[in-house]
Amino acid sequence: MLKTERRVMVQARDIVKLYGRFKALDQVSLTIHEGEKIVIIGPSGSGKSTLLRSINRLEEIDAGTMIVNGMDLYNPKTDLTRVREEVGMVFQSFNLFPHKSVLENLTLAQIVVRKRSKDDALEKAKKLLAKVGLSDKANAYPGKLSGGQQQRVAIARSLAMDPKIMLFDEPTSALDPEMIGEVLDVMKDLANEGMTMAVVTHEMGFAREVADRVVFMDNGAVVEEGTPEHFFTNPDHPRAKQFLSQIL
Amino acid sequence: MAHIDKTKSIADVGDGAAIPIKSDRGLFTAWRIAFVGAIGTLAFLSFYKPDPYLNIIKFVPDGIVVTFKVTVGAILLASIIGLITGLGRISSNRLFNGAASLYVEVIRGIPLLVQIFYIYYALGRIVKIPDLLSAIIAMAVCYGAYMGEVFRAGIQSIPKGQMEAAMSLGMTRGQAMRHVILPQAFKVVLPPVGNEFIALLKDSSLVSILAVADLLRRGREFASESFTYFETYTVIALIYLIITLFFSKLIGIMEERINAEN
Ligand SMILES: Nc1ncnc2c1ncn2[C@@H]1O[C@H](COP(=O)(O)OP(=O)(O)O)[C@@H](O)[C@H]1O
Ligand SMILES: [Mg+2]
Repeated sequence: MLKTERRVMVQARDIVKLYGRFKALDQVSLTIHEGEKIVIIGPSGSGKSTLLRSINRLEEIDAGTMIVNGMDLYNPKTDLTRVREEVGMVFQSFNLFPHKSVLENLTLAQIVVRKRSKDDALEKAKKLLAKVGLSDKANAYPGKLSGGQQQRVAIARSLAMDPKIMLFDEPTSALDPEMIGEVLDVMKDLANEGMTMAVVTHEMGFAREVADRVVFMDNGAVVEEGTPEHFFTNPDHPRAKQFLSQIL
Repeated sequence: MAHIDKTKSIADVGDGAAIPIKSDRGLFTAWRIAFVGAIGTLAFLSFYKPDPYLNIIKFVPDGIVVTFKVTVGAILLASIIGLITGLGRISSNRLFNGAASLYVEVIRGIPLLVQIFYIYYALGRIVKIPDLLSAIIAMAVCYGAYMGEVFRAGIQSIPKGQMEAAMSLGMTRGQAMRHVILPQAFKVVLPPVGNEFIALLKDSSLVSILAVADLLRRGREFASESFTYFETYTVIALIYLIITLFFSKLIGIMEERINAEN
C-alpha cells in the first residue's frame, strides 16, 4: 500500500506558536495520514505538547495552517466542536470527571455532543469498558481507581466518540511503573485495529514497536523524521544522537 | 431608628460566625457553651421573669419568620446573581466581563445600609412591589456581588484539565461549564455560600429600617410600647445568636461531609 494514496488526517504547515517573544513552535510542518501511527519524542520543553494540542486547537497558533480531517481549524466557518469530536485526546493527568461514575464519564459527551440516546451511549460505553478490561469498574468513581485504570477509562472515553484520530500526550508519564504496561497494551490494540495515532511518549519500546514514523523535536522544531529503525539505529541529526545516547 | 444607627458592621458583610470543626477543639467547646448558654439563658429568664421576657418571646416569632423569608429569598436570588456575575468575571466576552466587574466594584464600595435605602426607594419609584420583596431584592443585589466572587473562585479552583478534557470531547464551553465545571464548583462553594447565608441572616436585620417587620423590628415595636428596651434587645440578641450558631454548626457538618467524600 502506498502511503501517498491514503487520506491525509492532519496537515500542519509552518506552525508558529509564541509565548510572548518565545517561540514554542517554530515553523513546524507535519502530515499524518489515515491509519498512520506517529510517535513524537524529544527533550522536555521542545514543544511536543504544544504541537499535539494545536491539532485540536486547545492551543491557538500564531501562524501557519492546520487542517484536520479536511477541515481548516482557522477558517471562521469551521465548527470547532465538530473537529474536536473526531479528534480524541488523552492527557498525562487523565482528566476524568471526578463527579461522574466511570460509565457516566463514557456516556456524557456521547449524549451531549453526539446526541445519542442514553441506551445507545450506555451500550457503547459498556463495550468499550470491556475492551479496556474494566467492566467491573463501570459504577466506580474515578477517585477509587488506580492511575493505570483511570488512564484506560480516559482512553475508552475518547473512543466512545468514534474519533478518526487519537492524540496521546505522555499517557504513561504520571503512572507507577507497574501500570505502564496495561495502558500501553490498550494503545497497541488500538494501533493494531488501524487507529490513526499521534503519541508523545518517552517509552522507546512502544515507539519501536508501534510507530510507522518517529518525529523528533528540539527547540520547537521538528529536526528529524523517519522510520523507527532509522531513527533508533542511525539518526542523522546530532541532537537526536545526543538525546538517544542519554535515554537508551 | 436611633438604635439602628449605632449598628456596626454595616459594610462588613464578609464574615459569618466561625464554623466549628472537630479538629478545632477550642472553638467546638466555645460553640457548645454559647449555644447551650443562649438557650439556657432564654429559658431561665422566661421562667423566672415571664413579664416581660416570656411576653417578648411570644411577640417576636412573626418577626423570625420574616427574617427567614428575607434571608432565604435573598440568598437564592443572590446565588443566581452571583453565578451570573462569577461567570462574567471569568468570561472572555469583554462586555459581559466588564459589566460583572463594574457591578462588583460599585457594590463593594457602598455601605450595605446605604444600598438598602437606595435600592428600596429606587425600586419604589419604578414599580409598586411589596416591601418584603423590595427588601429581598435590595439584599440580593448587594450580596450578589460577594457571591459572584465566591462563584468565581469556585469555578477557578477546578483544574483546567477538566475544561480541556470536556472540550477535546467536542463540548462547547457552555456545555462543559454546565456538565463538568459547575457541578464540581458547586461542591467547592457550598461552605462559603453557607457562610454568606449566615452573614446575610445577620445583615437582614438592616431591613428593619424599611417597613419590613423582621425579628429586630418586632423587637423594636415591643420595646417602644412597653419601654423594656434592655430586656427586649437581650432576647433579640440571644435569638439571633441561637439561629446563627445553629446554622454555622450545620454548615460545619456539611463541610466535613464534603471533605470526607474527597
Ligand atoms: N502557557 C505557557 N506560557 C508560557 N510558556 C509556555 C506555556 N506552555 C508551554 N510553554 C513553553 O513552551 C515550551 C514548549 O512546551 P511544551 O510543548 O509543553 O513542551 P514539551 O511537551 O515538549 O515538554 C516550553 O519551553 C514551555 O516552557
Ligand atoms: Mg509535554
